[in-house]
Amino acid sequence: MKKKESILGMAFFGPALVLLILFLFLPMVLTLVFSFTDYFALNPDMTHFVGLENYINIFKDELFVKSFFNTVKFVIIIVPCQCIGALVLALAINKVTHCKKYFKVAFFIPVVMSLAVVSTLWMDIYSPEGILNTMLAHLGISAQPFIHSAKQALPSIAVMSVWQGVGYQMIIFLGGLQNINPALYEAAEMDHASGWQKFKDITLPELKPLCVFVFITVTIGAFRMLVQPMVMTGGGPDHSTYTLVYDIYETGTMNWEMGLASTMAIVFTVFVVVLTIIQNVLTKGKEEKKHVNKKAKNI
Amino acid sequence: MLTKKQKTFNWVLAVFLLLLSIFFLFPVIWMLANSFKPDAAITADMNSVAAFIPPALNGNYFENYITILTDTNFLRYMLNTLGYAALLIVLGVIVNGLAGYALAKINFPFRDQWLLIIMMLLIVPTETVITIHFLIIAKAGLLNTVIGYVLPMIVNPFNIFLFRQVFVSLPDDVYEAAQLDFCSPVKYFFTMVLPMSKTVVATVSVFTFLGVWNDYLWPSLVFTSSDLLTAQIGLNSITSNDNTTMGQTLAVITLITIPVIIIYALFSKQIVEGVTSTGSKEG
Repeated sequence: MKKKESILGMAFFGPALVLLILFLFLPMVLTLVFSFTDYFALNPDMTHFVGLENYINIFKDELFVKSFFNTVKFVIIIVPCQCIGALVLALAINKVTHCKKYFKVAFFIPVVMSLAVVSTLWMDIYSPEGILNTMLAHLGISAQPFIHSAKQALPSIAVMSVWQGVGYQMIIFLGGLQNINPALYEAAEMDHASGWQKFKDITLPELKPLCVFVFITVTIGAFRMLVQPMVMTGGGPDHSTYTLVYDIYETGTMNWEMGLASTMAIVFTVFVVVLTIIQNVLTKGKEEKKHVNKKAKNI
Repeated sequence: MLTKKQKTFNWVLAVFLLLLSIFFLFPVIWMLANSFKPDAAITADMNSVAAFIPPALNGNYFENYITILTDTNFLRYMLNTLGYAALLIVLGVIVNGLAGYALAKINFPFRDQWLLIIMMLLIVPTETVITIHFLIIAKAGLLNTVIGYVLPMIVNPFNIFLFRQVFVSLPDDVYEAAQLDFCSPVKYFFTMVLPMSKTVVATVSVFTFLGVWNDYLWPSLVFTSSDLLTAQIGLNSITSNDNTTMGQTLAVITLITIPVIIIYALFSKQIVEGVTSTGSKEG
């Protein structure tokens, strides 16, 4: 009976396991192994073990360093704008009493559109004679080059990304706000707490784990920036929107330099995994504290 | 009872949000309005409010849409993508669902260790392995085939985990009763377990559809032959063609978005629950 159940279990789990091995374990192991070699996919017989050479070389490679800092710039612009924007929108929509449903939908619409669609649309919006420049002209602002200049391309794409993504985190925050126990606010009202005090002492602390979650997921999302520059600028002008993942993608699948691409992928993964672990530690810590507090109150 | 001050505040907030939402949506409004215009009208309207208003209904109203649907392969790309999505939904529900069920209900060696590994796999970003996927599929000679496109996308650790969480709470006595009836485990899974878990099947299907429909990187790597392209990649090949006008571009991106809007309208409850649960699970 027990043996029969083992066989049944493996039969059910088997198909998934085969695919997991083939398309997750194996690629992860290969990426790690390749990162220590000069594996060139068009000439695999000439592969050598090169130790840490790739890891040293990519940081000497101007393009990789540039793509790394471009990615960091994306993160620096996108993360605060998107997190704070989403929180403010959620707070306002949670408060508003008229057309609540419309507002939820309106700010969520860009999330529904794909990255390629949004990028294509904004290429027209940002075009030199486009609608945005026309609107700016009415305000007396001269025409801006936006994605056509090395200086403005990156912030332009970042703004567009925030526009597209902010509704998603807004919905997450709205969910969190609705989960806050209304009794907390009622108690605060009895103590004649001001709106700001309620926000500072109830809303923010209750939302803190969710804030950490949103902060990290937005950071990871910005770190993965690829499709927008790929569609809009091809990484240009002058590699000003070339990102980390773009470099991995081009090195691996266009130049076939799997060794180098794997090294970059490992560096990228380490960043993402570290961020995820930080998030888990921060939110788990909070939850345990909450339990301790609850217990303390019960006593 | 609301005081007068609170009432005024509510109105001010609503008006402010309304103005903000209109400004926020100006690219979408512009896209919709101008997808019905020829390029000359788009340029002519640019300087006035007419830029955000659709043209009067006339004989050419749907011309951009008709050109796109009849003169390009776009309809084909959309149908391709629908087909891939349907295939991946069926395969994904079966493969990930069976795995989730095994991890939830069947005692087999190293079950808890497997579950732990799958949860750890959730951290790995797809970008890490995508070049290797490309290498594997290329070496297997599966570039430009549907199999090559579908194969790496079937298994999804997150969906396995999702299924497992739901199946764990299914009652055991139904399973025992089914065994007395000599109901085979596979039959039991398809006729009892899946129908009892409609919500999670719907959630996984919806997110699979959205993932396939909106995916850009993987299909752009696998497909070069124009017969197999997905809508997102086809979009790129249409807009990069010099003969495509701006109005037609706007019509294409509107068309691409319509199926997603329909899915969101039909399944908004599942989607919002899915989105908020990713937050509350980890937060």
